[in-house]
Amino acid sequence: MQVDDTLLSKLENLSYLKVSDDKRAEIIAQMDKMIAFVDNLSELDTSRIEGSFAMSDTATRLREDTPFCDTRINDDILMHAPRSDEHFFIVPKIIE
Amino acid sequence: MTLKEALKLSPEEIAQVREALAQKIAQSDLNAYVALDMAGSGIPIAIKDNIQVQGWSVTSGSKILKGYIAPYNATVIEKLHAAGLSPFGRTNMDEFAMGSTTESSCYGRTLNPHNKGCVPGGSSGGSAAAVAGGLAIAALGSDTGGSIRQPAAFCGIVGLKPTYGRVSRYGLGAYASSLDQIGPMTQNVEDAALLYDIICGHDPKDSTSADIAYAPTAPNLSANRKLTVAILPKYVEGASEAVRAGYTKAISALKAAGHTIVERELLDPKYDISAYYITATAEATTNLARYDGIRYGARVEGDNLKDTFIRTRSEGFGDEVKRRIMLGNFVLSSGYYDAYYVKAQKVRQLIKHEYETIFQEVDLILSPVAPSTAYPFGALEDPLTMYLSDIYTISVNLAGLPSIALPVDRDAQGLPVGMQLIGRAYDEQTVLDGAYSLELQLKTQE
Repeated sequence: MQVDDTLLSKLENLSYLKVSDDKRAEIIAQMDKMIAFVDNLSELDTSRIEGSFAMSDTATRLREDTPFCDTRINDDILMHAPRSDEHFFIVPKIIE
Repeated sequence: MTLKEALKLSPEEIAQVREALAQKIAQSDLNAYVALDMAGSGIPIAIKDNIQVQGWSVTSGSKILKGYIAPYNATVIEKLHAAGLSPFGRTNMDEFAMGSTTESSCYGRTLNPHNKGCVPGGSSGGSAAAVAGGLAIAALGSDTGGSIRQPAAFCGIVGLKPTYGRVSRYGLGAYASSLDQIGPMTQNVEDAALLYDIICGHDPKDSTSADIAYAPTAPNLSANRKLTVAILPKYVEGASEAVRAGYTKAISALKAAGHTIVERELLDPKYDISAYYITATAEATTNLARYDGIRYGARVEGDNLKDTFIRTRSEGFGDEVKRRIMLGNFVLSSGYYDAYYVKAQKVRQLIKHEYETIFQEVDLILSPVAPSTAYPFGALEDPLTMYLSDIYTISVNLAGLPSIALPVDRDAQGLPVGMQLIGRAYDEQTVLDGAYSLELQLKTQE
């Protein structure tokens, strides 16, 4: 698996990140090295093992869906949000 | 002063201890704390900067969370309060717990109290340096791939990573949800048991919290149980001379204390590294998607919503976090998912099964914590080199087991050498008993 600029651009898109021009070559080389390393897993025979992993053999417990509303938490969050007004988060214009 | 001693103090005496500690912290140059925030007036406990304390600006060592104020307490914080303990100071950490040196924090590096030219380890480097430097009675850290145990080893203190599910993750800033656990970082094994007893327990707010019996460990702590301990001669071959010498010393001490030593082998740890970094980065990618600058933390305004997300994240996250998010997106993306992510989950089962097989015959496994003692700043600049330094800690997280790190020796430069005792899932008592016995035996040998 070779990491190149096209793959890096794809990963930037998926990650909502932009890598600056002066760091692209370095990060491509680093990711290339890491992916080459983790390829060692192909040396292990896992053909008889299921593809999912769970820490516990028991299913996650279910609980009653009880309504809970502490509006103080909403107020606290909104008070410290980057931009908010009248119980809303303000975001850049979405619909032109 | 130990936690055990502090638990016997009157409120007036605790107030004096808090005052003295605050002064000491203000005069320290270790940069163990990023802020001396306080909540309550109980026995002071240092808190890693990724555990929610209501009203504190909890930032996970990241620029992207600057300005965020935690609106609620993590369950462990509620439990501290209920036991008369109080959050006292936010400790430094690698950004989002992604690192082994505490160098990636937006607050700058923390110095190792034993040698200020060396790293304190990471990611809970601030908590470890605070306890080792006499700036905290005890601290809370979090361990995703060794982040409690490795800094504990580098700073010469005790650090316990509980079994996955033993301590609630509610209110812990998530890095890799199937690996993260909060745990105590203390001056000795007895304190680790005391603090673990306070923070553990089933929590309905964490769906992965284990709903099983919780017997307190501290009142039952015993150095007299005779245990069977597995050692891993082949596994430690890659460690430095000082670490190998520490390993031999720990084996002799365990034998002298009457424990039975048997030899076992584990899978080549290079596979642990791969399974871990695939799993951890995949989960981190998902967990860190919430940092978009809209609801909390810092925002960098862009031309439109998408541009705002990109600018906020690109300026808010440091390089290591960006690398891991992109690596996570790689292993999860279409065309690579089966070859990397699914494969890693299969290998994780192999690793868990391997431990289960060994634990059918032994009570504990003795392993180094890190391949070397604390190294100078900048030594692990290459990311892959840093990932490889985690070889001895990450399989424990992949298998969800409890493990305690404790100091056993010093290297030629006087830096602490730590070892870990790994136990069966949910068997913290045996892990603590074995560590207590080793600690006492080493003391009598001094």
